Amino acid sequence: MTENHHFLVQQVGKGDKQALAALYRAYERPVYKFIVSRLNDPHEAADILHEVFMDIWRVAASFEGRSQVRTWIFGIAYRKVIDAHRKRSRVTVTDEVPETGDVAEAADAGYAAKQEAEHLRFCMGTLSDDHRSAVSLAFYEDMTCAEIAEIAGVPEGTIKSRLHHAKKLLLHCLSGRIKGRAVA
Amino acid sequence: MTRSRDEMELDLAFLVNGTLSPAEMAEMEALLAEDDLLAAERDALAVIRAEMQAEEFRTPGEFGLARLMRDVNRDTAAPASAETKVVTLRSRTWMWQAAAAVAVLALVVQTYLPTTGGAPQGEGYVLAGASAPGALVVSFAPDTPEVQIRDLLVGADLEIVSGPSALGLYRLDVLDGGDLDTATAALRAARTIVESVENAEN
Repeated sequence: MTENHHFLVQQVGKGDKQALAALYRAYERPVYKFIVSRLNDPHEAADILHEVFMDIWRVAASFEGRSQVRTWIFGIAYRKVIDAHRKRSRVTVTDEVPETGDVAEAADAGYAAKQEAEHLRFCMGTLSDDHRSAVSLAFYEDMTCAEIAEIAGVPEGTIKSRLHHAKKLLLHCLSGRIKGRAVA
Repeated sequence: MTRSRDEMELDLAFLVNGTLSPAEMAEMEALLAEDDLLAAERDALAVIRAEMQAEEFRTPGEFGLARLMRDVNRDTAAPASAETKVVTLRSRTWMWQAAAAVAVLALVVQTYLPTTGGAPQGEGYVLAGASAPGALVVSFAPDTPEVQIRDLLVGADLEIVSGPSALGLYRLDVLDGGDLDTATAALRAARTIVESVENAEN
């Protein structure tokens, strides 16, 4: 599969539109999922997905094959979303882990039993883009730490740290929402 | 066990997504067997991951591919710069304003200048709408930013094929793969942006 995608990128670099279409069909869904998880705006995500593949079309000839095609494409998408955030001048959301320390309660409260996508979407939305990206790549795409680090252009230790903080924030947020509902 | 609990805790997400090496996984499992809190966190993360993977997304699909191929073809036809699309979008406002100015000027000329021969009366101009392209005739609220119009049209699979007319009317067509009824409904629903929507009668 990986070799096949390498071949497709090489073909795109030579101006093969059918190869671009094949690459689009292979990566459209995961890349769109990754983008929309970071922007919460399907229309803007569709525009950025389009830009990602236009970039692939324009720069495929310079792809040297040192990284996997998947990490290369997600890296383009990663940077595009950062640009979009900059354009929006979006004020971010919390990066601080609350000190209330009820992670244990969240875990013990049996979150496992509460399949609530709405709570999860809300809580993902409270994360910073760095945290959300790491969680998305780890859990939507099941990527290794090394792959995520390559996409984000940071050391593996930074990714581990981001995921650790994201986990605490998510569990804290979910705990709060579940408690809120229980009270209501 | 060669790593501390804190170091291993940082790998919890990768235990959950199954990307640790067998040796790291065994090390983690041994730790989790002794640490109820960490085991509970692992379970919670596993639920989060399962929830995320089960999420349904409606992707641009074949419409997105058609849009990509359209722009790639444009890019190939005009390889002058990678900025083509951006420039087109940025300049569209100016293009609209210029077109509107020309249309208004033409109206003024037709209204106030006497006919000095040439084409017989009733000829030399075309009735608005006659053989004009586009399936819909639309007017937008005057103060609507271009970005909102653009988002609405992209979301409804529509593109502007001509306009604005002297009255500020635009003619729109559905993109390949789009549905006219759905697009019309989307325009009618956007009441703060769209002032009027009519089917074009060619």
